[in-house]
Amino acid sequence: MTDTNTMLDLITQETARILAEKGEAALPVTADTAFLDGPLPFDSLDLATLIVALEGITGKDPFRAGFRQFNTAGELAALYAAA
Amino acid sequence: MSRTVIVTGGSRGLGLAITRALLEAGYAVATCSRHPGDDLPPLLAAYPDRLFWQQADIGVAASSQAFIDGAVQRFGAPWALINNAGIAREGILATLPLVEVDDLIQTNLTGAIQVARAALRHMLSRPGGGRIINISSIIGQRGYTGLAAYAATKAGLDGLTRALAREVGRRRITVNSVAPGYLDTEMSGTLSGGQREQIVRRTPLGRLGTADDVVPAILFLLGDGAHFITGQTLTIDGGITC
Repeated sequence: MTDTNTMLDLITQETARILAEKGEAALPVTADTAFLDGPLPFDSLDLATLIVALEGITGKDPFRAGFRQFNTAGELAALYAAA
Repeated sequence: MSRTVIVTGGSRGLGLAITRALLEAGYAVATCSRHPGDDLPPLLAAYPDRLFWQQADIGVAASSQAFIDGAVQRFGAPWALINNAGIAREGILATLPLVEVDDLIQTNLTGAIQVARAALRHMLSRPGGGRIINISSIIGQRGYTGLAAYAATKAGLDGLTRALAREVGRRRITVNSVAPGYLDTEMSGTLSGGQREQIVRRTPLGRLGTADDVVPAILFLLGDGAHFITGQTLTIDGGITC
């Protein structure tokens, strides 16, 4: 069982990696950080890349049965923790 | 290290010609088909380090996913995907069995979308861009009596090309269609003598195409010189649609 804090750490790490590959500076990610329309230079394709990476690392796919709404890193971490 | 290209349906016809040309050009190739056929095993023996084959039915999601997983396990994230696998079913639509319609859509369109999705999940994690080439057909542009359902699947592939090109362009992944005309392959074997004569008569270059007429376009679109071409359909038909 992966808890929400562990998932948040993983999300922070993978977000930094994706930003680095884009040549963007790392920004702090907290549970309240929104992926889109926030301070992160993230677009929908970056978010898809993050989801694929998380699935590869955790083996979990909380979206298997369909899309589930989330906006922030904390909300995404909770989805994986509950999957 | 060689760039890896995934080619669906590489055991015969155009897919085999593409696979052979890519190997000769130095790419690593992961391909699949329902059966290895007679021509692929010698290639597997000649290129043991750069050719991977796995049995797969592109019309079955679990099967195509297993193939992509196997390809990635062997060569890592792919540089390119060539969605080539396809089937042809001929018949007047009013009497074409629905099971045939389902087979066409499942293999030619749904299967291609599933493979693209599975491959993209790895391509997005690989910096440096990439290529997706969908093998469509002039039938999808112009139609042909008895090929309505087939035409729908090929037109669908061109739509996939244009939408996906917009979606993944910012990762420097290009997506294009190559639309062959009437090729002298097994899939054109159902043409009657009269149909073949009519096609040749209407083709400015005066013959049916061959796989070798199409392969150079594939190599071009995979190459560095094509890095600013995306969302396009390149028609190779001897001029019959001009």
